[in-house]
Amino acid sequence: MATKVQNADALRSAAAKWFEDLDDRGVFITDDRFIVRRWNHWLAAQTGKPAEDIVGRPLFELFPDIVARGLDASYRDALAGEVRVLSQRFHKYLIPITRSFHGAGLTEMAQSARIEPLRDDRSIIGTITLVEDVTERVISERELRNQISASDQARQMAEEASRLKDEFLATLSHEIRTPLNAVIGWTRILQTQPSVRSRAHALEVIERNAMSQMRLVEDLLDMARIISGKLRLKIDAVSLAEVAQAAIDVVAPGAAAKQIAIDAVFPPALPYVSGDSERLQQVVWNLLSNALKFTDAGGRLRLEVTVDGGNVRLSVRDNGQGIAPDFVPYVFDRFRQADASASRRHGGLGLGLSLVRQIIELHGGTVGVQSGGVKQGSLFWFSLPAVPDLERRPATQPVASDPVTLDGTSILIVDDENDAREMLVAMLENFGATVRAAASADEALDILRSGVFEPDVLVSDVGMADTDGFALIRSIRLLERPKARSLPAIAVTAYANPEDRVRALVAGYQNHIPKPVDANALAAAIVQLVTT
Amino acid sequence: MELTALQQDALVELLNIGFGRAAASLSQLTGHRVLLEVPQVTLQAVDEVGEALARVVQGQVASVHQIFNGPVAGDALLILDESGAAMLKELLTNEPALPLSIDASAREVITEIGNILLNACLGTFGNLLKVQVSFSVPHLNIEHVGAILESLKIQHEGLRYALVVHAGFRLRDTQVTGYMVIVLSVASLDRLIRAVEDWERSQS
Repeated sequence: MATKVQNADALRSAAAKWFEDLDDRGVFITDDRFIVRRWNHWLAAQTGKPAEDIVGRPLFELFPDIVARGLDASYRDALAGEVRVLSQRFHKYLIPITRSFHGAGLTEMAQSARIEPLRDDRSIIGTITLVEDVTERVISERELRNQISASDQARQMAEEASRLKDEFLATLSHEIRTPLNAVIGWTRILQTQPSVRSRAHALEVIERNAMSQMRLVEDLLDMARIISGKLRLKIDAVSLAEVAQAAIDVVAPGAAAKQIAIDAVFPPALPYVSGDSERLQQVVWNLLSNALKFTDAGGRLRLEVTVDGGNVRLSVRDNGQGIAPDFVPYVFDRFRQADASASRRHGGLGLGLSLVRQIIELHGGTVGVQSGGVKQGSLFWFSLPAVPDLERRPATQPVASDPVTLDGTSILIVDDENDAREMLVAMLENFGATVRAAASADEALDILRSGVFEPDVLVSDVGMADTDGFALIRSIRLLERPKARSLPAIAVTAYANPEDRVRALVAGYQNHIPKPVDANALAAAIVQLVTT
Repeated sequence: MELTALQQDALVELLNIGFGRAAASLSQLTGHRVLLEVPQVTLQAVDEVGEALARVVQGQVASVHQIFNGPVAGDALLILDESGAAMLKELLTNEPALPLSIDASAREVITEIGNILLNACLGTFGNLLKVQVSFSVPHLNIEHVGAILESLKIQHEGLRYALVVHAGFRLRDTQVTGYMVIVLSVASLDRLIRAVEDWERSQS
């Protein structure tokens, strides 16, 4: 019997010691007057208050914060027999333990706690509290929450991008169809009423619409090249004043039609910038047409080139409809237009300004926009680093030349599409050439082998059914007749990328002209081949 | 065994006192006005509770389970479907809920809410019976609704009954319904109902 009692006492003190040594959570015991009776090792270590300073003192005097936060009620509930769980989310902590937790923004250790009654056989004699450090958990849950909201954001951005693309496709089909309507409409009129008085006007409308559609396609191709990183700049020293003047010359007729004046201000001594003059002219042209588009008749544009430290800056100011402040950050974004109704009134793909930014950034420059808001006009600018060396002249200045003639030149045309072939024939006969046409590569080879027609130049389509233009030129280069074998050849294709040009040259062509074919450019290329 | 209309009314009234106490605690805890009401109490044999609950909650549920002991003894559960639990936690803590399975903090919050509600109701019964009810530590389980009740049936022998209480939480214009299930032995139920009837008579 005595041993049993001894054993029970030994177990009791061993259990008490086990709790006191427990070092992964806090355990403390109070009596029924909330005087602390036990305070384990973990609590002593975390609070810096050893058991001898705590035991024997009232809990609520030691930690008045517990009362201030109303948690003493939970202790009274425990004395009434209830178990209380204190979640970290609601209470943050039970015993204040101040510390900084590796930059997590927490100044107190995050804790969950549980308060339970302690009973002897008959009644409740005290409380026991378990305290757990959940700081790590709180931090990782917060990170998880942040990651989830970040991925939500990414999803929303992807959805927005997809929506913009859909919108863009709708705009694109509208923009492509609009000039087609005019072309087809006027073509029908010419067919049914060949003697109509406004024949010249009809042709002018058809050409203008075809040109505008071509510009659209070129913008799209430029954008595709920029996105795929394939836009190559032909860098040289360029005078922004000359570039700007050339762009103004292009838009002048349109401005005059809308009675919009364009003032151009250039400083006398302007440093060159390093860039691709054609691309920069495209940029200025885009800025000017954008300004024209959004300026009412009778308005005014001001193009100004200034030197600003080591940069040359070109700005275009208009007194047109301006930009709503909330749209300003998106002005240079791809496929964006301020609002559907305005964009429909003004047309366009919303690619122009995006191209401006991309091209300028490819040049290492910056773009910007300011607007006082709707109806306050706007100011677009870009700035490029100046070239310190003033000696070099821009290399590419188009030289005005005599009208081209192809008198006495014989040309073999190969194209499997009837319309395209007939157009090429008519185009080149207009320049005085003697033309023979073949509807396939085989037919062309037969002509060349027979020697009945000995052309000075071959103009061939590339994408043809059966034998294509690449195979054709390779066969020609293997012919027996020397004149045929060394026949100068020009490839005409709808594949307008630099890579396509390289492919054509590698296959054996001397030159490559993209569709739609510009008659003058083709004639000039032929002259060049024949004379060299 | 069925409850008479009088017994049912008395139980609803009594539970509303407990719920009022719980709502006051929750309002204080969250800083939002929390309303809790008992629209309906039914008494069912434990075997039938599963079927009754399956009509109102489906799939995975969160349940806070406490065992209570004393002259009246049994199991008390607060059952919330998972979306209800997440919404309640979100409304009470202003933080977007993660799935409960990965959000230990949310599980703790639901446990505390269940603990407050169950203790308030059973405490009210204890006061009424003038006995002290002692409680086990509350546990949160996330499992299929059928599994919870299955485990209740296995634990005990003999005929047992369950009070099924619809608990409507209302806060910030949103309503979440939970279900409180109090499982009692025939003797405990008898004692409780007699006390409820006495109390009802003393009220009128």
